Amino acid sequence: MNEFIVILGWLGLYGSMALGAIGSIIGCALAGQAAIGAMLETEGGYGRYIGVSVMPSSQVIYGIVIMFTLQREITAVNGSAIFAIGFLAGLVLLFSAILQGKTCASAINAAKAKPEIFGLSIAPAAIVEGFSVFAFVFALVIAGGIPSGV
Amino acid sequence: MMIDPYVTLISSLPPHTPQLFATRQTPISRIKLNERLQMLTPEHTQDLALIENLVHWDRIAISTTDEEMVRRAEETMSSLRNQFIKDIIIWRLEERTAVAALRRKYLGFDVPKSGMRWGYGQWVGHIERHWHEPTFALEKILPWLEEARQLLNEKNHLGLERLLLSLVWEYYGRVVAGHYFDFEAVVVYVLRWDVIDRWSRYNNRLAKQRLERMVDSGLGEFNAIFA
Repeated sequence: MNEFIVILGWLGLYGSMALGAIGSIIGCALAGQAAIGAMLETEGGYGRYIGVSVMPSSQVIYGIVIMFTLQREITAVNGSAIFAIGFLAGLVLLFSAILQGKTCASAINAAKAKPEIFGLSIAPAAIVEGFSVFAFVFALVIAGGIPSGV
Repeated sequence: MMIDPYVTLISSLPPHTPQLFATRQTPISRIKLNERLQMLTPEHTQDLALIENLVHWDRIAISTTDEEMVRRAEETMSSLRNQFIKDIIIWRLEERTAVAALRRKYLGFDVPKSGMRWGYGQWVGHIERHWHEPTFALEKILPWLEEARQLLNEKNHLGLERLLLSLVWEYYGRVVAGHYFDFEAVVVYVLRWDVIDRWSRYNNRLAKQRLERMVDSGLGEFNAIFA
């Protein structure tokens, strides 16, 4: 049983970063495709399309920071706590990155047709980012209460 | 991974105008549109061709009989796998069936003989049973039918064309809600492109006729100069 909890601890430790990375890959790919499509149709403003398309990359950074915060000797005492925080934060980062990618793609598509709404169109993506920041910050706060390995 | 497979394609297409009759040309040329549609998978390219061949008037020869059209519709329906696309096509064919019935009646035809394949969809039998009613007892389900009948009786063909195109335009706008970067969104984009194309060609034809009339009236007595 103790070994199983230790395995879970390792899953949680690396999971926050891995799930965040998967989300960022999918989110950036979605928004990037929209940016490429918009560049085919428009004559300028390419930089801002690419700029918006990399917004979902922040989730992997949050994942890395959570991983380093959780890093300690994993034992049967703290394994389950590390798993719970790392895995759940990772899930939040995964979904927020994918859905942020979708909102970024929609923003690029809309701003291509109506450049004057560019600023407003990225507001939904910023709000999605806000939720992943909540998960990130509170993962750090909760991680402070995890008992040491002994 | 099939998360929104056509993000690039949809983003590369210029948007349609919200108001159909406010535009005088398609937002993108057919050549360019076809270039962009090369991003579709072979299966989706085939499906789109089937849909356009059935729905776009320019792909239907004038000599095509009603029976051939019904047969083509049945073949297309059995080939398509996407229920959303099937529903769109069925709606369009049922709308055409109702208009065809109005035109038949306007031209003085009697109720189609039993077994005759003149229309497609759920209203064919209902229309045959209510042939002698002005709008085939469908006015509650298809409220635009009464206006279409009036326009037809007034010989206002342009008005009828506008009514039918605006119906189709609004229908496409309604059903595409919730589809952003998928095949359904691509199909609706192309079908709306076809509607604008038809309307802009219709205007061109009118303009050409008007120009010819003006030229003829301007030439007047010089018409026979080379006779």
